[in-house]
Amino acid sequence: MVFSYNWLQSFFKKKLPTPQKLAGPLIMKSFEVEKVKKMKNDWILDIDVTPNRAGDCFSHIGIAREIAAIINSKFQIPEYKIQNTKYKIQDFISLEVRDKNACLRYTARVIIDVKVGVSPKWIQERLISCGLRPINNIVDIVNYVMLETGQPLHAFDCEKLENKKIVVRFAKKGEKIITLDEQNFSLDEDILVIADDKKPVAIAGIKGGKLPEVDKKTKTIVLESANFESKLIRRTSKKLKLKTDASLRYEHGIDPNLTEIAINRAAFLIQKIALGKVAKGLIDFYPKKVFPKKIKLDLDYMEKLLGEKVPKKEIKNILEKLDFKIQNLPFKILTIEIPTKRLDISIQEDLIEEIGRIYGYEKIKPIFPITSLIPSKRNLNIFWEDKTKNILKEVGFYEVYNYSFVSEKDSKIFDLTSLIKIRNPMSGEQRYLRPNLIPNLLKNVQRNQNYFSKIKIFELGKIFKSPKNEKRQLTGLITGEAFYEVKGAVDSLLNGLGISDIWYDSFEPSPKESKIFIWHPKKCAEIKVGKEKIGFLGEISSKVLESYQIKNKVIVFDIDFEKLEKLSLEETIYQPISRFPAAVRDLAILVPQGTKVVEVLNKINIAGGSLVKDIDIFDIYEGKELPQGKKNLAFHIIYQAERTLISKEIDEIQQKIIKILEEDPEWQVRK
Amino acid sequence: MKLDLKILKNKVQKEIDSVKDLKELTEVSKRYLGKKGILTEILGSLKKLPRVEKVKVGKEANQLKNFLRIKLDQKAIEIKEKTRKETEEQERIDFSVPGKKPILGHLHPLTEVKKKTEEIFQAMGFSIVRGPQIENEWYNFDGLNIPKDHPARDLWDTFWLEPESSKLLLRTHTTPVDVRYMEKNNPPLRIITIDRCFRHEATDASHEINFYQIDGLQVEKNISVANFKATIQEFFQRFFDKPVKIRMRPSYFPFTEPSFEIDMLCLNCGGKGCSVCQNTGWMEMLGAGMVHPNVLKNSGLNPKNWQGWAFGMGFERLTMMKYKIDDIRLFYSGDLRFLKQF
Repeated sequence: MVFSYNWLQSFFKKKLPTPQKLAGPLIMKSFEVEKVKKMKNDWILDIDVTPNRAGDCFSHIGIAREIAAIINSKFQIPEYKIQNTKYKIQDFISLEVRDKNACLRYTARVIIDVKVGVSPKWIQERLISCGLRPINNIVDIVNYVMLETGQPLHAFDCEKLENKKIVVRFAKKGEKIITLDEQNFSLDEDILVIADDKKPVAIAGIKGGKLPEVDKKTKTIVLESANFESKLIRRTSKKLKLKTDASLRYEHGIDPNLTEIAINRAAFLIQKIALGKVAKGLIDFYPKKVFPKKIKLDLDYMEKLLGEKVPKKEIKNILEKLDFKIQNLPFKILTIEIPTKRLDISIQEDLIEEIGRIYGYEKIKPIFPITSLIPSKRNLNIFWEDKTKNILKEVGFYEVYNYSFVSEKDSKIFDLTSLIKIRNPMSGEQRYLRPNLIPNLLKNVQRNQNYFSKIKIFELGKIFKSPKNEKRQLTGLITGEAFYEVKGAVDSLLNGLGISDIWYDSFEPSPKESKIFIWHPKKCAEIKVGKEKIGFLGEISSKVLESYQIKNKVIVFDIDFEKLEKLSLEETIYQPISRFPAAVRDLAILVPQGTKVVEVLNKINIAGGSLVKDIDIFDIYEGKELPQGKKNLAFHIIYQAERTLISKEIDEIQQKIIKILEEDPEWQVRK
Repeated sequence: MKLDLKILKNKVQKEIDSVKDLKELTEVSKRYLGKKGILTEILGSLKKLPRVEKVKVGKEANQLKNFLRIKLDQKAIEIKEKTRKETEEQERIDFSVPGKKPILGHLHPLTEVKKKTEEIFQAMGFSIVRGPQIENEWYNFDGLNIPKDHPARDLWDTFWLEPESSKLLLRTHTTPVDVRYMEKNNPPLRIITIDRCFRHEATDASHEINFYQIDGLQVEKNISVANFKATIQEFFQRFFDKPVKIRMRPSYFPFTEPSFEIDMLCLNCGGKGCSVCQNTGWMEMLGAGMVHPNVLKNSGLNPKNWQGWAFGMGFERLTMMKYKIDDIRLFYSGDLRFLKQF
């Protein structure tokens, strides 16, 4: 909110520090000052008043009071006196408030014989400084008093009110109003209005209507200074999408005792400037009067909370400067009377803040806490996440962080279900919460494919499922012919997490699933640990890749991290290293192309028994030189025992293996 | 026989001296010391000699054999050394040719900074905790003393979830975790949470729709603003690995009272004013305060017995300061040219 420096100065007899010098202490003790800007012969301070202080500081008087406390100076509110006239207010207007929970207070004054015209220069300048456009002396004074006191006011042309009545009531469904700025609104039963005998003349607390507008011919005006329930005004303002200087103040809450002060100030200015005659009496609907509260302030507690002792003299000075009244100064527990304008003060901690900030937080010396030595708890979730990320980094993956959202388009391509929909997305890119990590990883590929020939990325993050499920998922991919590289990475990862019983199971999608299957049907597998299915591995279907304009193949692993974490083991048990030499024999075999390597491995293991320590496949070859429909597999077989094996013994086992392999007529060991 | 040995010694000496490479040397060795070598045969023929002579000649022959072995070994070393020098003389490496780099993976900068932050707070006795990203209104707002239909709620622009009746939202800060933790754990307690949050606002160089927030909480019988100041200063000092200066100024959060903002003297200009700190000399770091009694109550704690401090800080901002990154959107761009720098 912007404030005029000249206006603030007008409350002080002594010269204020320069605007730039004033900003410093304001920032340190009250509010952030966003900007200090020169404007004609005035300066503008853009002050970020916090929402809790709107009640008293959305006004020049409020900020002046803060300045007085901060720089320890005296400030004075301008005086005003209303002259007696022969007119009686009852002869001009009557008031009826139908809902005392919605309208907490309604004060009105009538001013007769006003001369509507241009307002004096000093008022115009101050309004312009604060970003308001001068209109005529009546409207300008009303706005001026709002900026000065924080109380929104409104002026009606008395003669334009039907039957000279003001009724505060909820609108009828379908009732309409045209506001001062010529906007049309259709009203309903939840909207509070100011009406005359027949129709709404203002949207309460938000905006005046066009009908009873003050114009050049206006002679008699009704001034309104009211207090409406803050939540009601906020709801209406949101519903009508209509924010005004008045609604802003009302929705934050205002002291009901302020209406009277403000209306008298405005009446005084109109009497002085527009030469009006103020009718005797104040119409005042105020069923539940608000009185100052009292709060006990325990000085020992204050010291305990701030960690610093503030001298009592300072406490007294600070509180009094801010208009608080101390009732029992000599004691340790003070009773403080809170002025009703301080809507934000309701507990002693609020007072401690007032004292702390004005005294100066910089005076609080840092002290390390004295506390029991409770060791921090180990967070295993984070431990396993870090471990996982480190392993994937070691095998060459880049970690990415993607948005937690997917678009309508993603949802169509993947035919996603059980999605959680965002009620108020910022754009189509955030229609749903991501149900898996693959769409956004594919977008990463798309964006990077022109710069990198090979992309190797992963993400570990939350995925979501209706109604409110969230869990961690680990998904990674490599571009190109990388099926075995991805599989090897998954093996390395799982081994690194202490998981050994890993295997890959073929997956046959059901007819229903195959329609929406995002994987290449022949190049995918389920990742299993023991009997448990923990994820999926495979090549993404070219149909999906086309939708994301990806040129290369993409091989993905997609693992349920919650399951993975449960299976992970931290301990590693050392296996003694054999003192006896290992012997290696190679074996090449021609098998039909459909034969799985695991079938050959199983037979070698069965035939070789315990002396076969390990089998490495080092070549898989399919080519023209080979017989039709065959492929060549080549293995290193590693023999080892807890004694030195002699050559003859190894040859015998190797022969046995060959014999068993060749039991299948389609298999042919190459010699 | 005696003469023979002397002649033999001279002959061998010459042969060894004239040898050029290891192959020739092996031949010499074979010729004299091999199974059918000259000296081997001499030693073998000794048994035919009379005893006295056998001892005498035997001794000399053995001496010659030892002499020969030493000579051969020395010569071998000499040749190897020579060849080594010759090869080294010929071999070259161009160290200006770029090295062959192994393909390394990279962790996201937020992961790296998260680890470092967790480490520092764990060393100060804080446990690392977490909470759900889908929250309800109570934990995100009401429980934190942010009433419904109050303008204070406008400080947190919120993504709401369907259906409207569920009243579910994406948490706008990690502070709900504080309430959830206090409900289930007895004080004294010290916790840190660094996790993903969401704000319904337009993105620009310093705002993102999802982001990470670090939230800290300490609840004790006796804990003060002074204690918070010391703790957070220590954190920054360890994090930036240099002495830092902080300042505290008033602010407003519904869940703390008093509330304050922490600024740090600009690391870039040391307070003189520069583009990084928008010429103020200070950088806004975080919001903090003493936990509001209502929040303690809402978490099942009696504010008469317990007090605490809490703070919340944008985690990307911290990371951006550390690496001098100027646009928050880079973190979520998935741009490998960015990620490979960490």
